[in-house]
Amino acid sequence: MKGIVENFDLYAPKLVDKEEYFSSGHRACQGCGEALAVRLMCKGLGKDTVITNATGCMEVISSLYPTTAWKLPWIHVAFPNSAAVGAGVESALKVLRRKGKIADRDVKTVSIGGDGGSVDIGFQAISGSMERGHNMIYVCFDNEAYMNTGIQRSGATPFGASTTTAPAGAASVGNKTWKKNMPEIMVAHNVPYVATACHSYPIDFINKVKKARSVKGPAYIHCLAVCPTGWRSSSDTCIKLGRLAVETGFFPLYEVENGKYRLTIEMPKKLRPVEDYLKLQGRFRHLTPDQMKQFQERVTLEYKKLMNKVKYSKSWLEM
Amino acid sequence: MVSFVIDGKNVQAEGGAMLLNVARQNGIVIPTLCAHDTVARSGACRLCVVEVTKGKRTRIVTSCLYPVDEGIVVSTKTERVMNVRSLVMQLLMARCPESQLLKDMAKEMGIEPQPSFRVETDKGKCILCRLCVKTCEDVVGVSAIGLSRRGKDKIVGPPFMEDSVTCVGCGACAYVCPTDHIVMESTDGRRKIWGRAFRMKACDTCGRYFAPVDQLKWISKKTGTPLSELSVCLSCK
Repeated sequence: MKGIVENFDLYAPKLVDKEEYFSSGHRACQGCGEALAVRLMCKGLGKDTVITNATGCMEVISSLYPTTAWKLPWIHVAFPNSAAVGAGVESALKVLRRKGKIADRDVKTVSIGGDGGSVDIGFQAISGSMERGHNMIYVCFDNEAYMNTGIQRSGATPFGASTTTAPAGAASVGNKTWKKNMPEIMVAHNVPYVATACHSYPIDFINKVKKARSVKGPAYIHCLAVCPTGWRSSSDTCIKLGRLAVETGFFPLYEVENGKYRLTIEMPKKLRPVEDYLKLQGRFRHLTPDQMKQFQERVTLEYKKLMNKVKYSKSWLEM
Repeated sequence: MVSFVIDGKNVQAEGGAMLLNVARQNGIVIPTLCAHDTVARSGACRLCVVEVTKGKRTRIVTSCLYPVDEGIVVSTKTERVMNVRSLVMQLLMARCPESQLLKDMAKEMGIEPQPSFRVETDKGKCILCRLCVKTCEDVVGVSAIGLSRRGKDKIVGPPFMEDSVTCVGCGACAYVCPTDHIVMESTDGRRKIWGRAFRMKACDTCGRYFAPVDQLKWISKKTGTPLSELSVCLSCK
């Protein structure tokens, strides 16, 4: 895969697909990272794609009756079963192709969902479809809480974030638990391709989607999507926050191909302090220096754990 | 609008639209290597061949360069088309035996390498599709590389295969190359492409190397942006 222009991709944007499959004019908030991420994902997938969409922001903003922002076959399903429906669509396409009822071409089934629909409610459906080895991609757009229903905490909400169901106050730091490591759980399912991505690194994200598409079997992409509304951040910092999340080591961008970990973005030799990332977001503004330190320690530990895997992991194919 | 037939299906399209695009919009798979939306088509890889019947005449054409016309009948999967495509694929594989992409495509199309073709060893993975040359000319605008020599000796590279003075080291050619023939190596402070080493610019804020100095100078010259504004990497902007 071409990872060469990731540092200064000035000419690469001119060379990506110009066709838009997720049109403008949808109802996303100003500075929505998820809408941008979905647009980039569709560019990577191309025309021959069927999308199943769990309930969440993306369904609400993109399909207000009688309009739609999707130029691809798209189905909206309930909160928990995006991956289950995706698995069904994939099986149905396979059977129809075998019986000669549809043309024999490579149509990819892609299930998408927010962090609530993937990490919490839709978890068992994803686990099932990945374990059964369907030829499909699951993309989780992680904005770190149930933003659509009013910023309730989810399993992907980081430590210390103030949400409506885990509000910060005199007696509470906000969310008390750490973010669930979903990509790692997917690696444990023996999924051939798992990656983390962020809309602030568009070429990297598109490349990962293309790679996932070429895999014959299940693939999982975990995409961090900045949510200015829920993160209480200013809408013009959307791209900046995505880059800071990566550069502080809070959300490193990597891919796991058959068990082999690889960083896809050149990380700074010395990571930026996580405070740079936290102070731009209102949901963290109550954190005391002690709690910031606790946050930093956890981020450093998780990063070290990852770097250890990058250094020592080997592809299953070579074992 | 013109109406015509592809694989037994009646379709409508803007007159003058290229057959490859119309076919793909209608869900018909045609393999290609050199077709790219951003650069002008050249019909170099010959994989997109289809059969077109216009009036009484039926012939093989490259669909990427064939404008659709009223009443034509197109077949993309006849035996004749498959024979031509298979021959093209076998020739490409004999030229570039190392290319994984060609191997994968051939496997998908069910084509075995033809043992009677002499396998080339010195051509690398280059299929001479000219995508890199056109990208350098149209997208980057420096025309640092081109095709030289004739016939079986034809190669792609900078003039006389010497260090190019116009090349800015941007790597757009390596990015666009379908078979990964063009190699670009980046180490701290140095980037090597087409045999020439480029000095990289370190970001004024974070100190990371992010782009060749020559590329920044070229962008500055072309866009009129002062060089000082380009000396910060994307993350620090």
